[in-house]
Amino acid sequence: MNAIEVSDVSKSYGSVLALDRVSLSVERGEMMGLIGPDGSGKTTLFRILTTLLLPDSGTATVEGFDTVSQLSRIRRRVGYMPGSFSLYQDLTVEENLKFFATLFHTTVAEGYDNIRAIYSQIEPFRHRRAGALSGGMKQKLALSCALVHRPTVLFLDEPTTGVDPVSRRELFDMLMPLREQGVTILVSTPYLEEVRRCDRVAFLSRGSILGTGTPDYILSRFASVFCPEPLSHDEDEALRKADNVIEVSHLVKAFGTFHAVDDISFSVHRGEIFGFLGANGAGKTTAMRCLTGLSSPTSGNGRVAGFDICTQSEQIKRHIGYMSQRFSLYQDLTVRENIRLFAGIYGMRGKVVGEKTDRLLESLQFTSHADTLVSSLPLGWKQKLAFSVSIFHEPEVVFLDEPTGGVDPATRRQFWQLIYDASSRGITVFVTTHYMDEADYCDRVSIMVDGKISALGSPEELKRRFQQPDMDSLFTYLARQAVRT
Amino acid sequence: MGTLRHLLVKEVLQIRRNSFLPRLILAFPVMIMCVMPWVMDMEVDNVNIVVVDNDHSQLSRRLVERVASNPHFRFRGVLPGYADALSYVERDKADVILEIPLHYEKDFSLGKVPRVLVAANAVNGTKGSLGSSYASQIVSQNLVSAGHSPVAAAQGVTLSTLNLFNPHLSYKRFMIPALMSILIMMMCGFLPALNIVGEKEAGTIEQVNVTPVSKFAFIFAKLIPYWCIGLFVLTVCLLLSWLIYGIMPSGSVWLVYMLSVLLALVFSGLGLVVSNHSDTMQQAIFVMWFFVVCMMLLSGLFTPISSMPPLAQSLTRAIPVRYYIDAMRTVFLRGGTFSDILPSTLALFLFALILDVWAVISYRKRG
Repeated sequence: MNAIEVSDVSKSYGSVLALDRVSLSVERGEMMGLIGPDGSGKTTLFRILTTLLLPDSGTATVEGFDTVSQLSRIRRRVGYMPGSFSLYQDLTVEENLKFFATLFHTTVAEGYDNIRAIYSQIEPFRHRRAGALSGGMKQKLALSCALVHRPTVLFLDEPTTGVDPVSRRELFDMLMPLREQGVTILVSTPYLEEVRRCDRVAFLSRGSILGTGTPDYILSRFASVFCPEPLSHDEDEALRKADNVIEVSHLVKAFGTFHAVDDISFSVHRGEIFGFLGANGAGKTTAMRCLTGLSSPTSGNGRVAGFDICTQSEQIKRHIGYMSQRFSLYQDLTVRENIRLFAGIYGMRGKVVGEKTDRLLESLQFTSHADTLVSSLPLGWKQKLAFSVSIFHEPEVVFLDEPTGGVDPATRRQFWQLIYDASSRGITVFVTTHYMDEADYCDRVSIMVDGKISALGSPEELKRRFQQPDMDSLFTYLARQAVRT
Repeated sequence: MGTLRHLLVKEVLQIRRNSFLPRLILAFPVMIMCVMPWVMDMEVDNVNIVVVDNDHSQLSRRLVERVASNPHFRFRGVLPGYADALSYVERDKADVILEIPLHYEKDFSLGKVPRVLVAANAVNGTKGSLGSSYASQIVSQNLVSAGHSPVAAAQGVTLSTLNLFNPHLSYKRFMIPALMSILIMMMCGFLPALNIVGEKEAGTIEQVNVTPVSKFAFIFAKLIPYWCIGLFVLTVCLLLSWLIYGIMPSGSVWLVYMLSVLLALVFSGLGLVVSNHSDTMQQAIFVMWFFVVCMMLLSGLFTPISSMPPLAQSLTRAIPVRYYIDAMRTVFLRGGTFSDILPSTLALFLFALILDVWAVISYRKRG
């Protein structure tokens, strides 16, 4: 008997078909990957299997129990970790764990053996509030909470989105022993290195399963989606003028005694694509907020586009673009209205805006969606649009804070094509990312550890210097040296 | 100015696309004008009264008739004795007992001051006290019309009221100007505050903060649409009050608008301060709710300030709504001129100034 059996399940929300006659079976003790772009129906499938949602048609069983008629038996046997953090942010680590244990009529002591490997890593911080943990630690705690009642089936919906490569790897390392104990795992992830660690994967797209098989088989069969051709980036040295667009020296940003950014110095050349890497909590976002004028540095100084970051933040804002981690366009305005608003804020003239908007929409192939509300666009489109809006006023530098979270490799590649186009027009790109393949796309990268920059140079140069085969292992090598938590 | 225009266009589009705001803007004045004046009517009607007539004289029968025909009373009948009447009160069938003693008419014709007993159930305090004062008024009216000597009448009729400005003692006339304050609080205080916190939660405020938008442009773009909505709703309310109740301000309509604009400034300031200091919708709603409820209860909207204990009375001086309601009632009921409401206007202006300056200072583009 298979641990999970889904046959002909369909589910629609209004006129939107989220799942279209999906069939899937997962053997006991298997780790099954569920991959597909945002909005392909992964979360809907998770919610049906965890008995939170009723399918419109078809049947699904978990451990032989029907998800509709025998839901209480299923609920006792499964652990579920939803995509967004499922913890109580204002309870401590220990209180969260106790609470979830009580929900399943068990105690932390009874379930301790099951979670020892994972929980022991966060146990030193058991009196800290969950909201104050770093992204990676939150996920470890959430996993502990999902495991405390010794489930036999584990559902993980994008457990590692927005988590740095080191914490991601640690989390997946923790899943391996569970599989050996016979726990069945269904996990969705946008990261290829995690896809490769599954026994089998199912590729879900627009509500249908396009293929199931070993990771290698699926990744090669759908290579156009998952393994797009690497981008060719011709180093046009003529564009790299000698001048620096960003210059930072001895920048410090402290919150009380905690130095989030601890004395960093670097410079970024005009027209360069600069990758700003670091683990969760290393201080990337804080440093970026100082550079964009959202926060004043505690000490040190820097210039962005020729203006001082301490005293001329408003002038800086005229010459930069910014795309934040959280989605930054107005969802209740149409594509064209968003463009018009941000162009207007930068004082662009109406006629110029109109012509430029038409050209932009054409090049993005958005023309037919010009009057569509942004909220109804797919995530990949929104990201491309947000980037295009952030450089619409031709800024000198554009800051991108994890711009490509949660989309498939092909869509990310299209996004990077836009970045290259902008760079070839002379716009400097300053980008943070957790995807190490994207780090390879940058001209130069810096890696932050514990608020300091511990490596800076072109990807090739860094790999040589630290004798690491790829960016992923380089990052892991450096980030493991972190001492602060 | 160009930036402000673009931001305003954005706000108006967002309000129009909002699924419930446009409906609220229509439902609000209707609710305030068509329902509230009836609900908030503080006149006590339907006081249940029983009479015990021990005299059975002409004078006492005339008194019973007067009681029975009075619109404030619901006459529950004449009972044989006080004990029966009391049991009516105990079973909550009567609120007031009027007992006419033996020799009532005889005392009257002898020139003595005739006495009656008025007993009121004080469980519902307002009903009891108003009921007993209605009853004593009827008793003295009855004596006067029977030709009682002026001396005794003076003793009997303790009080004579002449209601100026609101001759029919209509609570609607009294409440409508005050109800406008609720409208301004909602439209110009609550809505912009929630709007700003909404942008904080969506993360779009950060995007705007890295643009060269000045904080004044951002704040004004948030407030101007709600000021317009507030004044539009106020106008609808004034029209409705004229159409439904025939009530119009006795004074200048412009004073009504001036006061409302000032109150709008006060509450916009408060809303901004609250939204600048809150990170979540929940927090903003609770803090705003706290202030709005305190202000409504202390404003004299429901209970006259003069009947509050001294401590509470001095507390009301810190409540801007109090000055608004005072001034609005002056303009609406007494036809007050600008010089009549000058002190209240100044107080409102002061509150607006303090809160608005605080709001602008506490809105930070950088942390």
